[in-house]
Amino acid sequence: MNEGVMAMNTKSRYAWAYVMIAPTLIGTLLFWSWPAVYSIYLGFLKSENFGLVNHWVGTQNYEKLFKDQEFWRNLRNTLFYMVLFVPLTLVCSTVLAVLLNAKIRGRSTYRVIYFLPQVTMPAAAAMVWVVLFAQDYGLVNYALGTHVSWLSDPRFAMYSLVIVGVWAAIGFNMLLILAGLQGIPRTLYEAAEIDGAVGFNKFRYITLPLLTPTLFFTTIVLMIGATQVFDSIYMLIGKTNVALPAVRSLVYAYYQNAFVYYDQNYGAAIVNILLLVNLVLTGVQFLFQKKWVVYD
Amino acid sequence: MTSHTLSSKRTNLVIHAVLIAISAVMIIPFLWMILTSVKTPMEATQIPVKFFPSILKWNSYSEAFKQSSFQYYYFNTAFSAFMKTLFPIIFSSMAAYAFARIQFPGRSICFFLIISVMMVPNPVFYTPQYMMMNKLGLVNTVTALWIASLISPFATFLLRQFFLGISKELEEAAILDGCNPFQIFWHIMLPLVKSALVAIVIIQLLWSWNELQWPLIINSSPEKLTLSAGLATLVSKFGTNYPVLMAGAIMAVIPMIFLFFIFQRRFIEGVAFSAHKG
Repeated sequence: MNEGVMAMNTKSRYAWAYVMIAPTLIGTLLFWSWPAVYSIYLGFLKSENFGLVNHWVGTQNYEKLFKDQEFWRNLRNTLFYMVLFVPLTLVCSTVLAVLLNAKIRGRSTYRVIYFLPQVTMPAAAAMVWVVLFAQDYGLVNYALGTHVSWLSDPRFAMYSLVIVGVWAAIGFNMLLILAGLQGIPRTLYEAAEIDGAVGFNKFRYITLPLLTPTLFFTTIVLMIGATQVFDSIYMLIGKTNVALPAVRSLVYAYYQNAFVYYDQNYGAAIVNILLLVNLVLTGVQFLFQKKWVVYD
Repeated sequence: MTSHTLSSKRTNLVIHAVLIAISAVMIIPFLWMILTSVKTPMEATQIPVKFFPSILKWNSYSEAFKQSSFQYYYFNTAFSAFMKTLFPIIFSSMAAYAFARIQFPGRSICFFLIISVMMVPNPVFYTPQYMMMNKLGLVNTVTALWIASLISPFATFLLRQFFLGISKELEEAAILDGCNPFQIFWHIMLPLVKSALVAIVIIQLLWSWNELQWPLIINSSPEKLTLSAGLATLVSKFGTNYPVLMAGAIMAVIPMIFLFFIFQRRFIEGVAFSAHKG
């Protein structure tokens, strides 16, 4: 190929590249990047008349936020949800994945069953849990022989949310971990068996170390998801429930402030804190992923 | 030898017992949804709990349908899911190909700008997007449900990974034949990433079908709501009329569950695969 043709080619190739990325780039900048930047800006403003008049107030929204007992409680709730939800989902999913990784019959049937909640609309799933958790005529109390008000007793509401969250998340995370398990070479187990390793030892000394990268990735994804819990609180607990303060997450507080009380700036301040938390989590993931790639 | 097979048989039995017990926990909510939807409101709130209705009553379905605006919910949900699937597939694969194969000036910065929004939690976008929709006069319209999601940074990222994994030899021949990048992309590369495209179709469908918060924020009149936001209003309307609520919930989840049963393998592999590549 002669060089002139090559150069012309290159130029027209560039032009094609810009045409091909244009819709995604423009759409992203307009509808996603700009709103993200604007949200940070909103956190420093005080708006009146539905955003017609804006004053720059510096860090006032954040000062108010940090003095607000409710904010700290919401943050605590979010972290508490995360601390319960993430390990529980991780343990259940890992156990299931290990069991399903054995050569047993009906594997694909089990997979389909565990995956079912994943394709179910969270709003609809939450509705049936409301029925199951009902105090007087719910199946849960009937089965346990208890008379607990699962969704409106502040002592229990958080645990009920976690149960629903884990129920919905197991199938998907089990799949991720199963894929990780299938990446572990069989020869390692065979070698260990020759050395006399059995059952749990194989799990402890082969499976677990080699599964660590998968588990780490899964943990971070679960944590990021857990910091944004909203649907289940909205549908299971609801705005008039006395247990709401005991479970209200940052995202729920954002929703209330921005779209129920119409305080866009205070709402933005809340959600910008969430952004910070998520950036830290992503940063951690990025750093450690690099480390593992090197050691692999 | 015999004792070994015996013990492995016993282990298998224990494994199945655990797996079946958990399957029950997974399925019971669905069974209960169906059972409750065909009970009378009296039966649904009976003490002690009544498992099976004495006769199957189907009128909760028609009541849920009539008392709320299910025909609109279905249309709005399906239409936005369609828009949020078709366009991202086209735009993302085009962009992904360019990012993977053409060394144009500004490539890294453009790519970074696009994927950086993936780190931002969705609620961060909502207030500014709401203000934007307000300016465009799109609050409380079906358009507002999908317009921002015609592009997908996630799909772009995923497909780029895919294109990077394909050998360059095929293209080189086409370049010599004088094909332009779009022709190469369309005729040669796109067919090679079919499995990735299917995975993205499934994920986009699932996400947009099930999304709750944005429809709830941006739209309020019944004929502009989606199924999940519609269900939320059903709860406030019917309170403890459980059969009607369950009938509504079933009507909302049936299409996705139906698709899931037809394309089980593709669903499971698609979702697992995209999470891995992402």
